[in-house]
Amino acid sequence: MLKLSLRGFGARKVRLGLTLLAVALGVALISGTYVLTDTINKSFDNIFATAAKGTDVSVTPKDAVVEGNGADTATTIPAAFLSKVQAVPGVSKAVGTVGTSNVALFTSANKRIGGGGAPTQVISATPKPFDVISYTDGRAPTGDNEVALLASTAKDKHIKVGDDVSIVGNGPRQTLKVVGLGKFGGVSNVGGFVAVIVTLPEAQRLAGVKDAYDEILVAGKPGVTPPELRSQVQSIAPSTVNVRTGQQQADENASDIHDALGFLTTALLAFGGIALFVGAFIIFNTFSITVAQRMREFALLRTLGASRRQVMMQVIFEGLVIGVAGSVIGLLLGVVLAKGLRALFKLFGADLPSQGTIIETRTIVVSLLVGTIVTLLSGLAPAYRATKVPPVAALREGAVLPPGRNARFVTPGGIVLTALGAAGIALGLFGGGSVALVGLGALLVFLGIALLSPKLVPPLASFIGAPMPGIVGRLARENATRQAGRTAVTASALMIGVTLVAFVSIFAQGLKATIDDAVDTAAKPGTLIIENTAGGSPLPAQVAPGIKAAVPGVRTVAPISFSTSKVAGVAGKTSVSGIPANISQVFDTQWKQGNDATFASLGATGAVVTKKFADAQHLKVGSKLSVLTPTGKRLSLTVRGIADDNSGLLADLSVSHDLATTAFGKTGDALIFAGVPPAQEQAVKAQLDAKLKQFYPIAEAKTIQQFKDQQATQINGLLVLIYVLLLLAVVISLFGIVNTLVLSIYERTRELGMLRAIGTSRRQVKRMIRYESIITAVIGAVIGVVLGIVFALAVAQALSSDGFKLSIPIVQLVILLVLGALAGVLAAILPARRAARLNVLEALAYE
Amino acid sequence: MTSADIVSCTDLVRRYGEGEAAVNALAGVTVGFTKGEYAAIMGPSGSGKSTLMHCLAGLDRPTAGSVVVDGVEIASLDDKSLTTLRRDKIGFIFQSFNLLPVLSAEENILLPLSIAGRKPDQEWYDRLVDTIGLRDRLSHRPSQLSGGQQQRVAVARALVSRPAVVFADEPTGNLDSKASAEVLQMLRQAVDDLGQTVIMVTHDHEAADVADRTVVLTDGLIVEDRRTTVAVA
Repeated sequence: MLKLSLRGFGARKVRLGLTLLAVALGVALISGTYVLTDTINKSFDNIFATAAKGTDVSVTPKDAVVEGNGADTATTIPAAFLSKVQAVPGVSKAVGTVGTSNVALFTSANKRIGGGGAPTQVISATPKPFDVISYTDGRAPTGDNEVALLASTAKDKHIKVGDDVSIVGNGPRQTLKVVGLGKFGGVSNVGGFVAVIVTLPEAQRLAGVKDAYDEILVAGKPGVTPPELRSQVQSIAPSTVNVRTGQQQADENASDIHDALGFLTTALLAFGGIALFVGAFIIFNTFSITVAQRMREFALLRTLGASRRQVMMQVIFEGLVIGVAGSVIGLLLGVVLAKGLRALFKLFGADLPSQGTIIETRTIVVSLLVGTIVTLLSGLAPAYRATKVPPVAALREGAVLPPGRNARFVTPGGIVLTALGAAGIALGLFGGGSVALVGLGALLVFLGIALLSPKLVPPLASFIGAPMPGIVGRLARENATRQAGRTAVTASALMIGVTLVAFVSIFAQGLKATIDDAVDTAAKPGTLIIENTAGGSPLPAQVAPGIKAAVPGVRTVAPISFSTSKVAGVAGKTSVSGIPANISQVFDTQWKQGNDATFASLGATGAVVTKKFADAQHLKVGSKLSVLTPTGKRLSLTVRGIADDNSGLLADLSVSHDLATTAFGKTGDALIFAGVPPAQEQAVKAQLDAKLKQFYPIAEAKTIQQFKDQQATQINGLLVLIYVLLLLAVVISLFGIVNTLVLSIYERTRELGMLRAIGTSRRQVKRMIRYESIITAVIGAVIGVVLGIVFALAVAQALSSDGFKLSIPIVQLVILLVLGALAGVLAAILPARRAARLNVLEALAYE
Repeated sequence: MTSADIVSCTDLVRRYGEGEAAVNALAGVTVGFTKGEYAAIMGPSGSGKSTLMHCLAGLDRPTAGSVVVDGVEIASLDDKSLTTLRRDKIGFIFQSFNLLPVLSAEENILLPLSIAGRKPDQEWYDRLVDTIGLRDRLSHRPSQLSGGQQQRVAVARALVSRPAVVFADEPTGNLDSKASAEVLQMLRQAVDDLGQTVIMVTHDHEAADVADRTVVLTDGLIVEDRRTTVAVA
């Protein structure tokens, strides 16, 4: 008897551990997400607050239409305004600052410093009390040709005070002497960003601005509070500037970061939700199996007079304990995971600052609640089933739990749920619904398919198990289908992860094909694309004419700029692209109305709109638009053409490149097309590379192929990140397979004993368990891949009007199935070992 | 004990536990069984009869002494060799039948050969099926068979590989008297007609009466070893 309970405990130990982990891992991703983003937010808050410590009031330019997160403003502050601020009675000191990120910094050995994901930012040195930089070595730059850097940058590149660096901004390359090293906002490394601190005139020269500032920092006289000072400055300020207290400005700066992180938080929480959802399957299955195995125990309790309610409460209480314990473990794991996630993002080029570990009350409450509730909900149905155990089962050996009265509703329920889910997805995709609706639909489809899958298990098991030879293969197939429901739920948990992986793979492949197709359609042969090496940042306006002048082989230079606007009668902001007259020499526009000459004839009053925008706003050629620009100008534009564009080059509203510069205040170009004779593409590109390297190192030229490859690389990077995050859900589902196998082995102890007694080798027993595991895993993988394809087809259909091309990566999907089988092998290791180690005599005596 | 013995043990000791609490389930047993013998091992609960069978069958390891099965000393064999020995030389019949519910009666009978990856000898198989008289039930699953029928399938399974010896552990323990008689008769036939050797642990005197020889154990020692008077052909 003691031996029996010990053995029971042994089985329970694994079961308990794996069930706890299934809860904990999902919760960990949730708590880890909160801890990570809270910590980063707090760190940025501190950095900006520390940097703004000496600033009582900050004056920044205000665009009439704000382009968006982190974009350069179209307007600047006229230098004359500084003297007006200085004349305000409460002001003790006011200085102007200028910054730019359109620079490239090099070591004395001509090695680029920065230039990766994080920006290189020129900051003009400010006197006390405005010091943004605290110097740890040397001093602030006082003369032109002097520079201070962040200590972290210097350490990375082995730069010491006294060394030379060179910089290329607006104008020729020049050498600067490093005179100081310091911290920004009290931090030595701000997400890998490279700060270049120079004098104000030097900064203005590098930025190419004259008589203007990006920001005016104001300090008040003693006794003048920041809000008072703010009102004083506000009273003389024009409408084109914002006047904020130092704290407000710091909050404003930090809020951009908060917004960007908000998206990250949502995305990560979604992955946490997926992991928990998968965990719920495991919990449900474990509880179901244990309830079945403990039937005699429950029956005995019933015989001794326990009510149904008491039996149910016992199971629910166990769920509560596991839920709370798993959530607490998850919460703690999350703190560790936060560091792991940060390392992961660093690996993908986003080195985010994080000081300390911020655990908000919200993190604790959400983690514990979500984990516990999910566990309780998953355990509810099994708990209810436990009440159905008749007392007489205690007396009957080998009694089987009667099929629940609701068993006959399982398949119809699965059909209804799947249909509802499909409807939700369809509504979300085609009915203008939301991503949330699509997600909810997918959730319902998963549940529906899980309910349907007991019907799919027998045929799939015999198909997948067909190549498994001999009696061992036969037994594995039979064992997998013996409790089809159990195998189905176990496989369904894996199915969820595989579906998402398959969907994402197919979608990414389609995206790459779509981009390739759009670029191939739009870009004419012999077109080079010139972009900022740091990605999205614009190139200075002088790059385009500079290229034309410097590289004779370039026939066409067509710079494209992007801005934003408010169009009367249109909700929200309308994106704007500035298109040069010669665009048709490098880019094929798919005209609905108009022709290649249209762009050349736009002038100051014409516009081209995309077909989508035209359809949505009921615009025709000849329609008039009243457009407010970021610099506050109101333009009256006439629609001259309507174009269909899948390449993403044309914004909703396209104006002439000149108008974008004059009326929208665009001083930089997002990208520049260079048309070269196709036959000499390589030769001209080599010349161009050399010139760019010399004069505009922040720009780089790519052939169409290179551009496509780069897009593909970016998509692949994102894909890997998503895979890593989905891996957690897959790992949890593997625990599910392990759990189910361990519990099944426990149930089949005597059979295994007999098999061993009549001469089955340990190796054969292991192989039998392994096969069963593979069958279960591959069932999940097969359903998952099919479901992933179906989801991808639906999304592709929804996006087909945007030119989305579906391309199914057959090889990757096959690899996915093989990985599913490998996962089965992995999950079988522990259970197989346990089964092989069973003591034959004890197993035979086992009841 | 002679060299003609198909199964034998000498000074067999099996001790459970350590130190003061140690119990000698077998306290030095020497016995041999010849080919073609139908022997019953009897004794009260705790007498060591099951332990003796387990040690003879290579399911349990003796603490001391030697066990020889078909000329092989098995006390020193590793698990792998013991498994092969059980597979090729030994047949088992259990009290609780222990058929695999997922296999048909036929597949259950052929299970030891399937495990060994061998083809059945069709003639032998046909004889076995005729002996157990379940030809029309071969495609049934165990759950569709009565207890007596299940045990008859188990008997065929134990014999299918023509083992050197068949061990039966309380083969009638879960059967009514009619089914018991059938199973015992079948074992009798296995010895008489098929030339098999059967060693049966039982505390059912009727079962023992069918055997050629009865070995009685008490407190881990053989206290009686007698030939049954039933004439053997």
